[in-house]
Amino acid sequence: MTLSKEEQSVLLDSLLEMGELLLDAGAEISRVEDTLSRMGTAYGAQRMDVFVITSIISMTMEFPGQEALTETRRIRANGQTDFYRVEKLNELSRTCCAGPLPLAELRQRLDRIAAGHKPFAAVLGGSILAGGSFALFFGGTLWDGLAAAVFGAAICFLQDRLGHTRLNAAAYNLLISLLIGLGVGLAAALLPALHMDKILIGDIMLLIPGLAMTNAIRNMLLGDTISGVVRLAESLIWAAALAGGFMVALTIVNVLH
Amino acid sequence: MHDIIIQLVTAFTGSLGFSLLFGLRRRYLPPASLGGMLAWGIYLAVDAWLQSGFLACLLGAAFAVLYAELLARRLKTPAILFVVPAILPLVPGSFLYYAMSSAVRGELELARSYGRQTALYALAIAAGISFMIAARELRTRR
Repeated sequence: MTLSKEEQSVLLDSLLEMGELLLDAGAEISRVEDTLSRMGTAYGAQRMDVFVITSIISMTMEFPGQEALTETRRIRANGQTDFYRVEKLNELSRTCCAGPLPLAELRQRLDRIAAGHKPFAAVLGGSILAGGSFALFFGGTLWDGLAAAVFGAAICFLQDRLGHTRLNAAAYNLLISLLIGLGVGLAAALLPALHMDKILIGDIMLLIPGLAMTNAIRNMLLGDTISGVVRLAESLIWAAALAGGFMVALTIVNVLH
Repeated sequence: MHDIIIQLVTAFTGSLGFSLLFGLRRRYLPPASLGGMLAWGIYLAVDAWLQSGFLACLLGAAFAVLYAELLARRLKTPAILFVVPAILPLVPGSFLYYAMSSAVRGELELARSYGRQTALYALAIAAGISFMIAARELRTRR
């Protein structure tokens, strides 16, 4: 496939879009770089230099006998993990590597993936199930499990609400953990059958940046040291904010008791 | 025994919850949740056998990565879809909580001990993941 100069820049733009979507959905750095390189090569680029860190994608494409094209995109996404998108994008990349789609169709498919979200019902159901399960898992009673499930739903709604604001991740975790800590403390004070610790442990699992930390380690081991270190630092700050929110809530509950 | 069954069942449903929460496609939900249960099973078995939570966590995480990579290859999907749900039951959420709550109550010695446990388990998960990635790199580079 030979592309004109204009088509090349359209392709470059689509690929940046694809990279941004992947990164936002929680894919590892190496996967983003790998996918973009393969895509470029599939469309006839002789050389692809893709550099991705958590906040920037930089890409240079070189087609045979032509000047190199470079574009950089600043990524401000603070997106939620979305395996639905990761998988769709992976599928699209496989399709293109087997036989490149026409550029207009590639764009169309990307737009369709960008418009589609994981269903909110699944996020809500998942939060309820995970919060409740982990309260039981760590030794809570059935009542603790139920309470953790209710607060799991509350976390889900709070995250949905705050997700639309431009609050940074640390402030966001601080606020959510403070509210949830106070809520659970109040519930446990009113209903003595509940164990505050088990309920909060179940719900902490929903807030711990477990994925970010796992990704950070994976990034570092796969050779993306910069992104790994950035992610690790980020997730430690989130974890500290989380702990801070809970500690303030626990202190208030202790004083009131 | 009773506790073990509860833990295995809730490890399954907990991983299922997270898979849903992350928007995993419906037909991948059963294998992803099973990964969490099996990884926790490995943790319990190794912990009972060697009396070491650190090693148990390490081997549980290593298993989770192996399981996810094999599954991903079969289903032609990214491995991360299965790694994360499988590892979640190993995340030391309870140690983290008890570290915070003892710190708030002023029991600093206890807080330090729980904090150390949290860090140790996180390290074990990281080490488990690294061993498997290193093993994979060695195989593919040959």
